[in-house]
Amino acid sequence: MEIAVTNESDIAVFTIKGRLDAVSVPQLEERLNQWFEQPGKKLIFDLDGLEYISSAGLRVFLTTAKKMKARDGKLCMARLRDNVKDVFTISGFIALIPAFDNLGAAQNAVR
Amino acid sequence: MSMLIKQMPARVESLHELLTFIRTEAKKREFSENALNRIDLVVEEALVNVFVHGYAQDQGQVEVRCLISDDPSLMIEIRDKGVSFDPLSLADPDVEADISKRKIGGMGVFFIRKMADKVAYRREGDSNVLTMTFLNR
Repeated sequence: MEIAVTNESDIAVFTIKGRLDAVSVPQLEERLNQWFEQPGKKLIFDLDGLEYISSAGLRVFLTTAKKMKARDGKLCMARLRDNVKDVFTISGFIALIPAFDNLGAAQNAVR
Repeated sequence: MSMLIKQMPARVESLHELLTFIRTEAKKREFSENALNRIDLVVEEALVNVFVHGYAQDQGQVEVRCLISDDPSLMIEIRDKGVSFDPLSLADPDVEADISKRKIGGMGVFFIRKMADKVAYRREGDSNVLTMTFLNR
C-alpha cells in the first residue's frame, strides 16, 4: 500500500493505493494520527488506486469519521472502485462518509 | 476429492501467503475477478479472527485446506486449535446506525456471512473448523 498526502489550501487529500488490509492498516493509522495532531478540518480520501479493503480498513475510516465529527470537520471520499464500493455499501459505511465520482466534486463538498 | 493443505503461524504476517495460496487455486478453476475479490475478503476476515481471538497466549498455528472436487465451487476450511469459538454465533452489527452509534466490531463476521455462498462452523476434537464454500459467479 502507498499513501501520499497533499494539501491544497486548507484541504488535505490522502491518496491511498494498493491493498488496505490487516497488514497495511497500521501504516494508514500512523499517517492519520500525525494529521490529527494539527487542527485541520477538511479531509478527502482519494481512492482511485485502492484495489481492496477489508473490515480492518473500514475500522480506520470509521475512527476517522468519528474524530472529524468531534472536531466539527468535513470528510469525504472520491473515486471508489466497484469492489471497494461494494464493501462500503454492504457495511452501510457508504451512508456515513459521502462518496463522489471525482475529486473536484469531493473538494466542493468539503470547501 | 483431493485436498491441499497449508499451515502457518497464526499471526498477521502469514496473511498474504495464505491468501495467495487460495487465490492460486481459485484462479486455476477460472473464478471471476469479482469472485476472487469476495474470496480474498472472506478468507482475510476468517483468518484475522483466528489471529486475534484464536490463541489466548502462546502463538499457535492456523491451517488452511482447499478441497478440490469436480464440483465447480471452491471449498475452503480454516482450522485452529485455539479456544472454542463459533464466529457465526455473533450478532450482526447494526449497519444502519449513525456515526456516533456505529460500533467498530462485528463487521468481519458480517462479511463472511454476506459474501460466502455457504458457511458453517464446527468444533472437531480440539479444533475450530470454519468451512466456506464459494460459487464462481
